[in-house]
Amino acid sequence: MGKRDGRQKTEIPSGTLYMLILKTLANGSMHGYGVAQRIHQLSDEVLEVEEGSLYPALQRMLIKGWVVAEWRPSENNRRARYYQLTKAGRKQLGMELSEFEKVVAAIHRVIETA
Amino acid sequence: MTVGEMWRRLIFFFRRGQFHRDLEEEMQHHVAMKAQAHLDLQADMSATEGRNTAQREFGNMLLLRERSRDQWGWGVIEALLQDLRYGVRVLRKSPGFTAVAILTLALGIGASTVGFSVFYNLLFNAFAAKNASRLAVPVVLDASSPGDVRPLRCSVSDLGLVRQQNQVFENIVGYVPVGMVLLNDGSQTYQFYDGRVTSDAFEFYGVPALLGRGIAPEDGKPEAPPVFVMSYKTWRDSFNGDLKVLGKSYIVDGDLRTLVGVMPPRFQAYGPLAQIWIPITWARSSPPGETELTLLGRLKPGVSLTTASSNFNVIAKRLAKLHPDDFPKHFTARVESADDLLMGTQAGGAAWFSDMKDLVYDLFVAVMILLLIACSNVANLLLARATVRRKEIAVRSALGATRTRLVRQLLVESSVLAIASCVVGCVFAWFGMKIVATTLPELGRGASYWAYIGGEVSVGLNIPVLAFAILVTLFTTLTCGLAPALHAVRADMQPQLSGSGRGIRAFGHGKLRAGLIIGEVALSIVLLVGAGLMIRTLFLLTRVDLGFNPKNVLLVLFMPSRGHDLGVDRAKATSAEGMATLHEVAERLKTLPDVMDVSVEDTIPGYGPNDGPEVTVPGTGHAEKAGLLACDQSFLRTLELHLTQGTWLSRDEVQTVRHVAVINQKLARDFFGGGNPVGQELDVKRFKGVSISSQDTDFQIVGVVADIKSRPEKPAMPMAFVPVTVRGGFILLLKTRIAPASLVRTVQKQVWAVNRDEIFVFSKPLTDFLHELTYATPEFGVTTFAPLACIALLLVIAGVFSVMAYTVSLQTHEIGIRMALGAQQSNILKMVLARGLKLIVAGIVVGVVVSLGLTRFIASEIWGISATDPWTFAGVSVLLTIVAMAACYIPARRATRVDPMVALKYE
Repeated sequence: MGKRDGRQKTEIPSGTLYMLILKTLANGSMHGYGVAQRIHQLSDEVLEVEEGSLYPALQRMLIKGWVVAEWRPSENNRRARYYQLTKAGRKQLGMELSEFEKVVAAIHRVIETA
Repeated sequence: MTVGEMWRRLIFFFRRGQFHRDLEEEMQHHVAMKAQAHLDLQADMSATEGRNTAQREFGNMLLLRERSRDQWGWGVIEALLQDLRYGVRVLRKSPGFTAVAILTLALGIGASTVGFSVFYNLLFNAFAAKNASRLAVPVVLDASSPGDVRPLRCSVSDLGLVRQQNQVFENIVGYVPVGMVLLNDGSQTYQFYDGRVTSDAFEFYGVPALLGRGIAPEDGKPEAPPVFVMSYKTWRDSFNGDLKVLGKSYIVDGDLRTLVGVMPPRFQAYGPLAQIWIPITWARSSPPGETELTLLGRLKPGVSLTTASSNFNVIAKRLAKLHPDDFPKHFTARVESADDLLMGTQAGGAAWFSDMKDLVYDLFVAVMILLLIACSNVANLLLARATVRRKEIAVRSALGATRTRLVRQLLVESSVLAIASCVVGCVFAWFGMKIVATTLPELGRGASYWAYIGGEVSVGLNIPVLAFAILVTLFTTLTCGLAPALHAVRADMQPQLSGSGRGIRAFGHGKLRAGLIIGEVALSIVLLVGAGLMIRTLFLLTRVDLGFNPKNVLLVLFMPSRGHDLGVDRAKATSAEGMATLHEVAERLKTLPDVMDVSVEDTIPGYGPNDGPEVTVPGTGHAEKAGLLACDQSFLRTLELHLTQGTWLSRDEVQTVRHVAVINQKLARDFFGGGNPVGQELDVKRFKGVSISSQDTDFQIVGVVADIKSRPEKPAMPMAFVPVTVRGGFILLLKTRIAPASLVRTVQKQVWAVNRDEIFVFSKPLTDFLHELTYATPEFGVTTFAPLACIALLLVIAGVFSVMAYTVSLQTHEIGIRMALGAQQSNILKMVLARGLKLIVAGIVVGVVVSLGLTRFIASEIWGISATDPWTFAGVSVLLTIVAMAACYIPARRATRVDPMVALKYE
């Protein structure tokens, strides 16, 4: 979806999108746009969250019960849906973080010894 | 999936609308935020530009929304619901088409359901017993009279022997199928048919009682308290369904018995007429004149009828050695399945020509043919509509609908039609079955009038039948909906969108349409020919001159007192004292004002005699079998026979038991040619009479009478009429002034006035008897086939009409050109009619050829004409041509009204 002018886009590694969204929400409830912006900013503009992946992911999190949503007025005076992490969501985040760290450490070992 | 997840998904389903709106609003907000961000970055961008850029970057919102929605997993169902709503809307927009399609399919589904119900319930569900498919009856075939099939009988004590020697049945029970008893409850006396059963019979059958209990094995013990069980109908009709009768004691056939149970409505075992059932007490020795049991067994699983037959042949031969008088001289024993016996496939070849089992199979095939015709009609309709909707489908395809989605939507539409048709069809079927059930002939008639089994068949909408209706609906959906759907979707879309497609594509499946019409016409010819042949058979059959007048004759059958076999068995005629009572009753009845004549005799006219002893005339060297009929001096008048030579039996001759006989013309011709038989001697070999037991006897011929038929469908056999006092009789014929049925009660009263407790009586008008015995099955064939053929005809008219109308509408352009080039209205008319005629004639030819080959399957239902009767074929062809051409006429007239100017511009 929608390539930006010229710039090379870095894809978010598969399987980590959920983790990133959950982590972002762990810092406070946010609407969809806000989550995408946050990730983009915190990663020094390296990571771009595509809307095409963001919204299906948010819906899935709603289904799984990892987040709950609530309508609140937002910065531009329109109402927006704010997502909040639930207890189950926090647990999921913890699991995904530890899993991710395990994988990264393993990859490190492969790279450094090989 | 956790419970929470399932719950959330479910809530989503019911709050779909709100979710969709929420999602849209959320995405709009995202876009707005993005636009704001752009504006913040580039101050010179306008609000609209910002918004557009943001929108573009966001991407296809609609698609994204759908993808997000799909996460919830209800995608397929939602799509189906959408298709459903759309389909209903589309169908509502063309009410004419929808109504015709639903009606046509409903007729097809309804008729085929009725046919299947008859087929299934008669052939596979005829008995309420458990494991009914393995029920079987041992029968005895008399070698000297082929076609005569009687159940194997044995006495109660012999039953033990039979059980010992049996290797093929799981268990065997015995019963006496017909008898009558008087039941007294202290204030009122009832006369009921009873079935006597061995005490394990109810357990064997496996149908639980409605109230109380059935007969239990302990009830057969000699010291057990006497009990009996009642049928549902009797309980409802004679005792008003009073619950208090359970446990009460009644005097049944002279013994005090307690009513221990009432059976459910679907139970009529051990005697198709039985109203109460009485257990037989076990006895170690057999008293003389003991009850003879008919046997019913359940085959061991995996045992074939042939194996069982050979086992029982041996057993029967052993029994015959013990009781030679109870068996024919030469016989074989066989085991017949209860289903076969019920349908009369084997029993009593002398009974009638028309085989009920064949008829049921034929009926099933006929309704399937009707279904095909209905399907073909609807397929044509759907094909036409598919063509008309090409544009709509092209547009949807351009909007992104996949082929699968389009086909699915068209299928859903067909399904909506199908479901509606199924419901309406089941309603039709319900009514149809009620009608069929009333004309269903009584089943299970063996060589004797007294049926051995039958009475539990109910033609109705039970589970397997409903399942069939649904299956049929599925089948029609697929065939009628799929083909047009695939066809419409496969077509090249571009011409459709630009609007010029109609001219060329429209003829694309003209061949298919034509093929369907030809097929329809051919199939309807098959049905019409079948119905036509059956109607003619019935017509001819009912017009046969029986040689006597059965109208206004009441037939009164006396049954020998309890314990005796009730077959029309010449060897066991009533005793001398029974005869005296009979004569007394006859005298009493003669005095009744509405009774013109009373005759005592021993055969049901029109149902016998079918066989008889060998007779010869001394000096001619010629011998043949002749039917012997014992009657009295009033017989001639009662049945209005024609005396051609000599005199009839006189009162004097009857009373003095003189050995005289009146022969019929057939016998006279066979022995005497043109000569005068009066005064000659007739020698009857091994004659069994009241006081004579099986020796050669002479009779003096005193007269000749015109032939009377023993069976309407058979030529008259040689017959001799002898005085009833010589042979014994148990039938009274009353010639009545008024309708015979109205005298039944009076007769009963008169009989009981003579002897209250001993005489049992069964009376029915003779015409009813003959109807049940001979005409009922052909009539059933006609009442089922004729409506089917009519419906087929209507469907064909509708089909031809719709196809012609559609073809004409497609050819408007062409017609316009022709008219502009100078064709007259009459030319156009002729052209259209000619096209129609070609199709119809082609269909008729195919139909006639196919019918010629198929009529052999209903050959058993046809009498009096050949199965390829040319008149019937010609008549049907002409009828169909006229009717179908009439259906073409209106579209043809419409064609002539085409305005060339309009047609040429119209595309």
